[in-house]
Amino acid sequence: MKKKYAKLGEFTTLELMAVCGARAIKNGEVVFIGTGLPMIAAMLAKRTHAPNAKIVYEAGFIDSNAIDIALSIADSRLGYRASGAIGLIETLGLMLQGGHVDVGFVGAAQIDEYGNINTTYIGPFEKPNVRLPGSGGGNDIVSSAKRIVIIMTHEKRKMVKKLDYMTSPGFINGPGAREKAGLRGGGPSLVVTNLCQMDFDQQTKRIRLAAVHPGVSVEQVLEDSGFDLIVPKEVPTTELPTYEELKLLREIDPLGIYIPRTKA
Amino acid sequence: MVEAAVEDKRITLKEAVKLVPDGAHLFWGGFGFQRPPMAFAHELVRQKKRNLTIYTCGSEMDIDILSGAYVVSHFELAFFAIEGIGLAPNIQRRIREGAIQIEDYTNLAMALRFFGGALGVPFMPLESMLGTDLLSKKKFRPKKAEVITCPFTGEKVVLVPSVRPDFSIVHVSRVDREGNAQIDGIKGEDIEGARAGKKLIVMAEEIVDTEFIRAQPDQTVIPNIYVTHVVECPWGSYPMMVYNYYDYDMEHIRMYYEQCKTEEGWQKYCNEYITSVDGHKDFLRKIGNDKLQKLKAKRPLPY
Repeated sequence: MKKKYAKLGEFTTLELMAVCGARAIKNGEVVFIGTGLPMIAAMLAKRTHAPNAKIVYEAGFIDSNAIDIALSIADSRLGYRASGAIGLIETLGLMLQGGHVDVGFVGAAQIDEYGNINTTYIGPFEKPNVRLPGSGGGNDIVSSAKRIVIIMTHEKRKMVKKLDYMTSPGFINGPGAREKAGLRGGGPSLVVTNLCQMDFDQQTKRIRLAAVHPGVSVEQVLEDSGFDLIVPKEVPTTELPTYEELKLLREIDPLGIYIPRTKA
Repeated sequence: MVEAAVEDKRITLKEAVKLVPDGAHLFWGGFGFQRPPMAFAHELVRQKKRNLTIYTCGSEMDIDILSGAYVVSHFELAFFAIEGIGLAPNIQRRIREGAIQIEDYTNLAMALRFFGGALGVPFMPLESMLGTDLLSKKKFRPKKAEVITCPFTGEKVVLVPSVRPDFSIVHVSRVDREGNAQIDGIKGEDIEGARAGKKLIVMAEEIVDTEFIRAQPDQTVIPNIYVTHVVECPWGSYPMMVYNYYDYDMEHIRMYYEQCKTEEGWQKYCNEYITSVDGHKDFLRKIGNDKLQKLKAKRPLPY
């Protein structure tokens, strides 16, 4: 069946971000996710190209097949047709640290150019301006999963040269730093924002522009980034969502809890 | 044959909370929106407990209430928020005032610290926290975590101190009078946390006959050997959820969140729903039976 792509203006940025997240999941993979956009992305992946992806929520729901949108990672909704309902030692310990998790999805309040993540403090550690929720299982996931997808909004104050606090380790300060620290997980592989997708240069481990979203210019991405971003000669445009993907997204989140139906 | 008398560990919620002295250290059960000991939190507020230290992985409105009412002075945890809505409003305010301090770990680190306490070993090893500020920065613990080189393999590993709190407080699906407990749905860190405390208080949605438990012993996740007291407490997690029993009351949670953005709003909430009611049953009466019936799980769905 030939893919039918939607046109610019027929989808929202959040829908596009969910589609990017879904496409980062391969069929059969064990996927660790939280609520919000990553949950929508994983639900979409299971309904499209990755029906055999196994979705694990750190609170203990394993291989969840939720049909209703959950607000908490411990939400009973995630128990729908799950294969197991166990606990944290099982999910974060035996499954994740045991090396069985292919990809983990996390959010971030700040990231730096090595993909290090802050979800704890904004402002100085001794007297912070805002106290954020903290690591939760974020640090565990980013430490031990084979690869990491970060989903966040693209703002200058969030894409920073120096984090206020490093909650979860990206490539720390460059090549070999994860290994030197003793980390076995693969680290960040993809950052999806409302403007673009970014990956990491193999040699330097620094963040690199991988694709700009339709209608977004490279200049706009650079303007909204507080860190130095590697820009390749040719920057592709993110593949548009298909009508099928958009239809499924609207079925997955009919009330617009995570993807508000502001405009088509 | 001599028939064993069934031991009866039941006490009331008020009696259970009276056992907790000011300054006590507590393991706090439930995870996220699932099975928080909310009724216990309310009673701690009503009895004006002070200077508690709470150990948990991730909690939400329950520990926000405890922070708002100045019950807790120290937390060791991994996560707090009102998930799906926003940051925990009272905790933000109390941090700014300097009334509470938080020592940050990860969910796995906390779960392992409870496991270590339950096992009776002084620390547990893990991979998490390596290379980050979680390892290098601390608030109030003299020692928070240490990196060592494994004496067997030479690998780097993080050690976190085990936790052996004065009390563990958990809310479960059902329990018998002797304290044999079952938990439907996810267990979070409650299996290890329940066993970490020097004393364990088990709250439950319902008390069942011990023969019900003994007909399906494979469903017991906390055997009575660990349990000090049992408290019958239906709707004990309201307005949060209990798997197979009831859904969360999002209207109430949102109202709480909006109202607690200001100190005055929080004081009003605390007075209206906690301090001016005469215990948990009176609180439920205030919420109203119509509302509660609507939240009951619509089996076969667990919510």
